[in-house]
Amino acid sequence: MDVTLLEKKARMIRRMILEMIVSSGKGHIGGALSCTDILVTLYYGNILRVDPKNPDWPERDRFILSKGHSCAALYSVLADRGFFPKDELATACKDGSMLGGHPDRSIPGVEADTGSLGHGLGIGSGLALSAKMDGKDFLTVVLLGDGECYEGSVWEAAQFSGSHRLNSLIAIVDRNRQCVNDFTEEINRLDSMTDKWKAFGWDAITIDGHSCNEILHALREHRTSRSLKPLAIIAETTKGKGISFMEGKLKWHHGLPSAEELKIARKDLAVDFPL
Amino acid sequence: MSNSQEISNKDIRDAFFDAMYDIAQEDKQVVFLTADMGAMSLERFRKDLPKQYINVGVAEQNMVSVAAGLTLGGKNVFIYAIAPFATQRCYEQIKVDLSVMSLPVTIIGAGPGITYNSDGATHHAVQDISIMRALPGMTIFNPSDAIMASKMARICYESDSPAYVRVDKGKLPSLYSPEDGFSAGLSLVKEGRELLIISTGAMVHKAIGIAEKLKEDSIEAAVMDLYRIKPLDESLFLRFATQYKKIVTLEEHSLVGGIGSLVLEILMDSDNTIPVKRFALKDNYCKGYGDREWMHTQYGLDDNTIIGSIRAWL
Repeated sequence: MDVTLLEKKARMIRRMILEMIVSSGKGHIGGALSCTDILVTLYYGNILRVDPKNPDWPERDRFILSKGHSCAALYSVLADRGFFPKDELATACKDGSMLGGHPDRSIPGVEADTGSLGHGLGIGSGLALSAKMDGKDFLTVVLLGDGECYEGSVWEAAQFSGSHRLNSLIAIVDRNRQCVNDFTEEINRLDSMTDKWKAFGWDAITIDGHSCNEILHALREHRTSRSLKPLAIIAETTKGKGISFMEGKLKWHHGLPSAEELKIARKDLAVDFPL
Repeated sequence: MSNSQEISNKDIRDAFFDAMYDIAQEDKQVVFLTADMGAMSLERFRKDLPKQYINVGVAEQNMVSVAAGLTLGGKNVFIYAIAPFATQRCYEQIKVDLSVMSLPVTIIGAGPGITYNSDGATHHAVQDISIMRALPGMTIFNPSDAIMASKMARICYESDSPAYVRVDKGKLPSLYSPEDGFSAGLSLVKEGRELLIISTGAMVHKAIGIAEKLKEDSIEAAVMDLYRIKPLDESLFLRFATQYKKIVTLEEHSLVGGIGSLVLEILMDSDNTIPVKRFALKDNYCKGYGDREWMHTQYGLDDNTIIGSIRAWL
């Protein structure tokens, strides 16, 4: 899929996220919208080698949504790619649904149970290490929140994977500069992210996390790169991206739009084709 | 010396690691992770099987997560640290990455209870049973001799659920033979008609000693070795336990949530009102410094205190 189509797909996925959260009556919308372009590029940009009809295919690339609360974005992408029926999205968090407020491995296409922050990179490191031990060439991609990087375990895993030169491992940090209650740089400074990852033995680059072109370029380059280091992509993003009144507002870590706000949101994310 | 004698004479930790070495030689998918904790018997593992041995450094949280990832990638993983650090330091990772995700990683906790006596409360594992048995799907072993420890390495290797093994150190008297299978989870290691003393791990030997001394007062005490704390075969347990008028539990663990609590739960839930007396560490920390027996005396787990208390109770 070329960049124009990826951007169109990202708009559609954002709309699916909105409708899923409205339907389920709860959900972490802000962070789902900030990482949408990353997920779309991974799953539609010919980056991740996955087969929706065979989700346990041993040679598949592994994707771990370490910031599990952003699962509305992952569920929307997985459903749209055909891992499970799209109808399931409207049931999320309702009685008996297969989709909860955080991902679990019983959902086709989900590799790890996440939601408790700071676990995904360690699990991804183990997967990447197993690939290295067995001479397999699958990629392991872990998407972290920037607020998640307050967890010390993230840096234990960064140290380990940098030291073991797990170059099939990619960490993408959704750098939307917000955690639940505050802006990261105002409470406990995280910058400079690239310097931190480099200091732990990684290649690290900062990109525009809403530019499918930049995301695509960074991921494609790594797949063919000869670097022995894992790659950290610091994706500068905006929380609530795509819905005008949510962008960059602390209020929208989670929450539901009012009827009036929903009209605006649907207009912001208008699509000219059925979801 | 026969093979079984040879195993019986081993340090209990060496017995486990030697068996694990044999398994890892047979199966190259076995990977051993240590949080910078060693043992004499691990030296040849490290030397002979370097691709299967990783010192992850003092980073127990990451050790558990990496073990989960390796398991997802098809490996059979053993992880190792001093018991409090292998359990409490990384409990959230054990809960989510192993228990919630049902990944069969084996956690080897060195030095349960107050094995690390004079190293202080930081190095004591006296809440580990209570927290680990709260995790669904977690198997908990506490071997009481070298032959059992040796067998448990293979049981863990073949298991499809996460397991926690409390491995003491030193040479413990032999209780079992290599023919024993250890699938029951508990066994009567001393017969007696009147009183049942239930214990686990190294404390089983103390229980046997106490039972011997009680015989001098014509008190016939049996001893049960509860070597698999979870899952417990409740019907088998009750078949033994209900034959006695009174039950004593003895453990080097907190009173809160250990095997004493476990025994009470099973008895109460099955409407059995057999009187139970629990001997364990009280709800405080062992802050005195001395050898293990001295600490037992300080904290009410010495033979004289226990025997006196049982006599007064019966």
